[in-house]
Amino acid sequence: MVKVTDILYYAINPQELRSIIQWKVWHQPVHEREEDKESVSSRICYDFLDKTSRSFSAVIQELHPELLLPICLFYLILRGLDTIEDDTSIPAETKNPLLRDFHDRLEEDGWCFTGNRPEEKDRELLVQFKHVVTEFKKIKPAYRDIIKDTTDKMGNGMADYINNAEFNEVGVDKIEDYELYCHYVAGLVGEGLTRLFVESGYGNPALLQKSHLHESMGRFLQKTNIIRDIKEDFDDKRKFWPREIWSKHVDKYEDLLKPEYRDAALNCSSEMVLNALNHADECLFYLAGLKEQSVFNFCAIPQSMAIATLALCFRNPKIFERNIKITRGQACQIMVASTQNLRIVCEVFRDHVRLIHKKNVPQDPSFLKISIACGKIEQFIESIFPSQRPEDVIRSKPGEPKTLKALEKEAQDKEARHDMLMMMMAMGTMLLVVSGLMFGLAWLLGARFDLAFADAKKGMQDIMASNWRPAPGSSRAAKPAKQFDHDEI
Amino acid sequence: MEIGSVLVTGGTGFLGSAIVRALREKHPHCHITVVDIQGSNDTGFATDSDLSFAQADVTSPESLSNVFSKCRPQVVIHTAGIVPPLSERYARRMEKDVLRVNVEGTRNTLRAAKEAGCAAFVYTGSCTAVIDDVSIQYANIDERWPLAYRSSIYGESKALAEELVLSSSGDGIKACVLRPSVICGEGDNQLLPPIHACIAKRETSYIIGDGHNLWDITYVGNIADAHVLAAQNLLSTMTAAGEAFFIQNNEPIAFRDLSLAVWKHFGHIPPFKIVIPAGLAWFAGFLAECFTWMSGTTATLSRGSVRDACSVRYANGQKAEKILGYKARVGIEEGIRISCEDYAKRLKQRAKE
Repeated sequence: MVKVTDILYYAINPQELRSIIQWKVWHQPVHEREEDKESVSSRICYDFLDKTSRSFSAVIQELHPELLLPICLFYLILRGLDTIEDDTSIPAETKNPLLRDFHDRLEEDGWCFTGNRPEEKDRELLVQFKHVVTEFKKIKPAYRDIIKDTTDKMGNGMADYINNAEFNEVGVDKIEDYELYCHYVAGLVGEGLTRLFVESGYGNPALLQKSHLHESMGRFLQKTNIIRDIKEDFDDKRKFWPREIWSKHVDKYEDLLKPEYRDAALNCSSEMVLNALNHADECLFYLAGLKEQSVFNFCAIPQSMAIATLALCFRNPKIFERNIKITRGQACQIMVASTQNLRIVCEVFRDHVRLIHKKNVPQDPSFLKISIACGKIEQFIESIFPSQRPEDVIRSKPGEPKTLKALEKEAQDKEARHDMLMMMMAMGTMLLVVSGLMFGLAWLLGARFDLAFADAKKGMQDIMASNWRPAPGSSRAAKPAKQFDHDEI
Repeated sequence: MEIGSVLVTGGTGFLGSAIVRALREKHPHCHITVVDIQGSNDTGFATDSDLSFAQADVTSPESLSNVFSKCRPQVVIHTAGIVPPLSERYARRMEKDVLRVNVEGTRNTLRAAKEAGCAAFVYTGSCTAVIDDVSIQYANIDERWPLAYRSSIYGESKALAEELVLSSSGDGIKACVLRPSVICGEGDNQLLPPIHACIAKRETSYIIGDGHNLWDITYVGNIADAHVLAAQNLLSTMTAAGEAFFIQNNEPIAFRDLSLAVWKHFGHIPPFKIVIPAGLAWFAGFLAECFTWMSGTTATLSRGSVRDACSVRYANGQKAEKILGYKARVGIEEGIRISCEDYAKRLKQRAKE
C-alpha cells in the first residue's frame, strides 16, 4: 500500500525515489540461484530464509554459488538458536542443554524442535529443521566444521547469559560486559563468516589473523541495533545499554525513556554512538580484504546501513519514543552505493560521519571525543584513498627560496626603481619650468594667447561637432562651420 | 641510552621550557645548558649543578661561540626562533626579522655546534615549512611532500632553515628536523588567546566554510618527548640523521571543534550558528584588508585568515613512530583541557594585577 505521506515525502526528496527506481530496475545480481538444479529440501531452506530474514535474504541469495548454501544454512541455524533463546516460555533447565548442545543436533537426521510457544514467529523453522539438517550434511566438511564451531561457542555464550541472574535483572553492567555480549551475539558470527570466506578463497587470510577486524564488523552492527532499539528492547524488559555508561547521565535506566530526562538521555545516547563509532575504521579495513564482489556486497550493505542508522539515531530524541528507521529511498541509495567498490562505500561512510559531526554539539560531554572519532575515520579513509599525492603537488608559485640575500637584492632593486622614478620626475619638472619661462617670455613680448586659445577651442568644437556627434542636437555648432566654408569659397 | 649534556636554545620559551622539563624527567643526570636571549631563569626551574643558564643571541655568532666553547654540549636542541603574531602572520612587514632570526640564527647555531664538536643537532622546524602554501589542502600528508618556498614569512623561513640543517648532517654532526603542528599547552600565547578573544568580540557564532576541515593540534609535552627521542636516536642508531619528521598528536580534529571546546571551557556556547560560505568570507577578508590598509589598523579578518580557517592541515605520523618510536603521551582532549586551565589561571592573575 502506498501511503499519502510517502508520496509527499518522495515528492520532496525525488533523489531518493530515483534511488528506489535505480535499485529496482537496474540492479543486477552478481550471481543468481539456479532454482531448477536445487533439491527440494534446499528450496525449503531458501523459503525459510525469505520468511525469517527481511534484510539478509536478498543479499544471501546473490552470493557466489560456492558460499550460497553454506551461508544460508549458517543463517538458519543461528536463527534457530536465537528462537530457542528468545522463547521465555521454555524453562531454563530445558533451555540450557538445548543451547549448549545445539551444534550436535545439526547432523542428527530428522531432528526437529516443537517446544516453542505458538506465538514465537520463527517456530516453524525449528519444527521443520530436518530440511536444514539434510542440506547441512551435504556441504563441504570444512564449512560444516566452521559452522558447528561457531554454533557451539554461541550456544554456550547464550546459556551463560541465561544463568546470569544479574544480567537478567539489571541488564548489562560494565562496558566490558557490553563488549562481551556483543561478541557472543555478533562478533562470533563475524568470525564464522570470515572463516568461511577465507576457506573458500574469497577472503584474504590476513582477515583471520587480525581478529579485531571481524570482531568490529559484528559489534558495529550489533551496537547500532542496540542503540536504535532502546525503546523496543525496554518494552520487552531488556536493558542492553551498559550501566557504566547510563549511570553517568541518569539514576535509573527507565529515566532514559522519560521526557523530563531527555537531555541527559541524549547525552547518554551520544556516548553509546561514540562507542560504536570507534569500530567504523576497522570495518572499512575489513572490507578491503574481500576478494569477490558478491561477498563484498554481502558484507558492505549491512555496514553502510549501520553507519546511516547511527547517523540517524545520533542526538535524535525520537529513539526514546519509537523505533526509527532510515527511509526506503535512503536504503536503496545505500544499496546501490554498497554494491560497487570500497571507494564508494568509504564515501557513504564519510558522508554519514560528517552528518554526525554536524549534529555534534559542545553541550554534549562527549563532544570532543566524538569530534576526534570522526576525524579518525576521515583520516583512515584519506589514508586508503588519498585525495592528493605529493607528486601531483605543483607549487602554485614556484621560485627561488627567499633568503636574506635575495631580500637585500630585492631591496636594492627597489631602490634602483625608486631612483629612476625620481630622475624622471626631476626631468618633468625641468621641462615644465623651461616651457613656462618660454611662454612667459613670449607673453611679455606681446603674444596673444587669448586669441590663440579661442581659436584652438573653436577648432576643437568643430572637430567634435563634425566627427564625434553629427546628430541634430549639435547642428548649431555645425552651421557656422558651413557658413565659414561658404565665405572661404 | 644516556645523554651526557644538552644545550637548548630558546630554552625558556614555550616549547623550549617543555623540552627542558622532558629532558630532566627522562635523563635526570644529563647536564642542561639553557640558552636564551635574556639568559635569566624566569621559568621557575630549580637550578642545580645539572642546569645552567647562559645568555646568547642566535643572530650574533660571537655570543654563540662564547657559550658553546664553554659548555661543549654533546647534543644541541635548537628551538630559538620567532613566530610572528597572528596579525603579522599573513603580512610581510616582519619578513627581515623572521629571516634573520630563523634562518641566519639557525646557520649561526649550526656553525657554533660544529665548531664545538657536538655530536647531534635537533632542530625544531615547523609543519608550516610544507603547509603554509594555502592554495593547496593538506589531508593526511607525509614527509614525501615538498617544502613550500612561497607561503607565509614564517613557513618560508622554516623551510630554508630546515634545508640548512638537513644538508649539514654528515660525518661530523648528525642532524634532524622535527616539524611540530600547531601547539597547545602550558604557556601557550599563540593558539588559545585569539580563540578565547572571539568570545568578547562576539565572533563565535560564525562558521567559515563547512566546518569539517581537520587540523593537527599537538600538546606541547608530546613535542618535547619527540625532541628527547630524536636526540637519543642521533646518539645511538642514527636512523633519524638527515631526516625530517612531522610531529603531532595524531588526532586531527575540525578547527571549529577545537574553538568550541575552548569556548565551552570558558563557559561560552555560541547562541546561534551562521554559516558563511568560504568564497564570501574570502571576499569579506579582502574588504577588511582594504580597510585596514587605509586605516592602518590590524584586524582578525583577512584573506589569509579565512583561508587558514577553511584549510585542511593534518599529517600522518607513521615515520616518526617508526623511526623515533614517537607516540603522543597526552591525548588531545587532555591537552586542550590543560591549555584552557593554564590560560584561565593566567587571565585571573592578569585581572588581579
